[in-house]
Amino acid sequence: MIKLTRRGLIGGAAFAALFPASAHAEASQVVAGTWGGDYGDLLREGVDSAIMKPLGIEVLQDISSPVPRRTKLLAERQSRRGSMDVACLADFDMFAATQLSALEEVSEANTPRLAKVQPFLKKSHSIPQIYSAHTIVYNTDRVTMPPKSLHDLWDPKYRGKVGLSDFLYTTNTAFAAVAGGGSMTDFEPAKKKLMEWRSLDVKVLASVEAAAAALKSEEIWFTIVAAARGFMWRQSGIPLGHIIAEEGAFPTAYEAAVPKNARNKESGFKYLNAMLEPAAQQVFASKMGYVPTVSDAPLDPALDRQINFSEAERARLWKPDFGYLATQQAAVFDFWNKDFKG
Amino acid sequence: MAVFILPAGLLVCALLVAPMLMMFRISMNHYDPAAMMVEALTTENYLRAVADPYYQRVLATTLGVALSCTALTVLLAFPAAYWLSRMQSKWKSIITILTMFPLLVGNVVRSAGWIALLGSDGLINATLQGTGLTSAPLKLLYTPGAVIVAIVGIVLPYMVLTLQAVIEGIPRQVEEAAANLGARPLTVFRRVVLPLATPGVVAGSVLVFILCMNAYATPVLLGGPRFQMMAPAVYDQFSRASNWPFGAALAFILLVVTLLMTVIGSMALGRKYRTA
Repeated sequence: MIKLTRRGLIGGAAFAALFPASAHAEASQVVAGTWGGDYGDLLREGVDSAIMKPLGIEVLQDISSPVPRRTKLLAERQSRRGSMDVACLADFDMFAATQLSALEEVSEANTPRLAKVQPFLKKSHSIPQIYSAHTIVYNTDRVTMPPKSLHDLWDPKYRGKVGLSDFLYTTNTAFAAVAGGGSMTDFEPAKKKLMEWRSLDVKVLASVEAAAAALKSEEIWFTIVAAARGFMWRQSGIPLGHIIAEEGAFPTAYEAAVPKNARNKESGFKYLNAMLEPAAQQVFASKMGYVPTVSDAPLDPALDRQINFSEAERARLWKPDFGYLATQQAAVFDFWNKDFKG
Repeated sequence: MAVFILPAGLLVCALLVAPMLMMFRISMNHYDPAAMMVEALTTENYLRAVADPYYQRVLATTLGVALSCTALTVLLAFPAAYWLSRMQSKWKSIITILTMFPLLVGNVVRSAGWIALLGSDGLINATLQGTGLTSAPLKLLYTPGAVIVAIVGIVLPYMVLTLQAVIEGIPRQVEEAAANLGARPLTVFRRVVLPLATPGVVAGSVLVFILCMNAYATPVLLGGPRFQMMAPAVYDQFSRASNWPFGAALAFILLVVTLLMTVIGSMALGRKYRTA
């Protein structure tokens, strides 16, 4: 006969009470791996509180920079259960995750708002939440004649006035490749142009935010960064403009996906759907300058003129070959570190 | 006796030795851009790390910074530790706690403070320009000097406390006896205190050297994009280049070099100042 003491009864009851509570917590909770800062705040405002909370789903933001988030997503892909229900990454990183079969397929069945996504942005395993393009951003007080071509960044009269973010080494290399006669599938000409930049005393800045500080102090007059960033910095008082050069620019989309080993896939897909709602998209446009990816999120005409791209500009945007970028990533990084910066 | 170290030993095996063995296995794999990592048994990653002039320079920079920081820390910490250990005042325990105060602040937060101090618009440059001593900001941030100064600030408490504990064990009467026999203060220090404090110097130096060799946040935040040490290089290979095998090889090279230097340094210092 089991001797049941009072202590044992209370302990057993407490133990048993954990199970339904934890199951309930999992079903009504979604862990979203995302950037922090303004992005995380807008996600909290426009998606977590505005859409997910009324659905009874609590959102926990797992905030980190994209590098450890991508590494964690790829490292966890062979685990039975992952740590994220939704992973937010830039398009290139999302491609790597897709290639390694780390993500669930998205469809109108699990994400109905996918029907409204612009066709040129659609992917098989992720949704595009916001997009912009890496362009030439320049100080309008110091550069009175706006640049027209990528080659203006190599103009000797701007010696020491071009700054490049170390974090955007792939984008910077792509610009150098096109300027050197290459393309999105031929980065070899980038090496010569990068070394030319070095001979023109180009400044390498530790982060994208450091580029803002350098533009503000006029240490640099040009940088290559997302037009959306340029918009945000202009809003903060730095006199900036951006151009899509006649040779083109590097488009960038920020995407979200549900990992295959997510603990709560159903809530994860609801989160993706919420990110594609017009109101959520418009919040990112007005505060961060990123263009909505859905066709039914109209913008104020003044804002649209500042952040969107004309048909002609959109036609000039390059079409990155992410497969090529993936095969070249290590080599591009090595050249950037060892030869260009070394 | 073995049963007392069994729990700690099991924990170390599970959480340290096992992951390191897995990492060693990864370091023998082959990197493939499409698949990220392919199972193999190859030494190509080690050969590349050892033979590549760039990574030789990174290792040399790391060793240089670690040795400089260790030497500076000993020079700065010894007088402070001696004074603290000989203190008779009621403030001794409070000052000991204040010595540990820098450890209460995280490395990233501390580095942010250094950026505010050393930046072009930082306190030092603003003061120098405001007083007319300079007309343009000095480049203080994103230099090896900034990294060394910041790392010394982090590891100094470790050295002070280690040395203090050892110097407190040196009887004051030994110094007084040497002085009575005609030895000048510098001679007392060189011939009596320093040899007796050698175990503390060795222990503190080993601890500080290991911490400096593995410094990550400070070189990344204060060294700038062109300054590379081994720990950030390992991180970059894992996260930015997705080259896990090569990153693992770099990590093990860092481990082996740190271990070798630690053993050689301990033996050399210990032999030089071995007491009779």
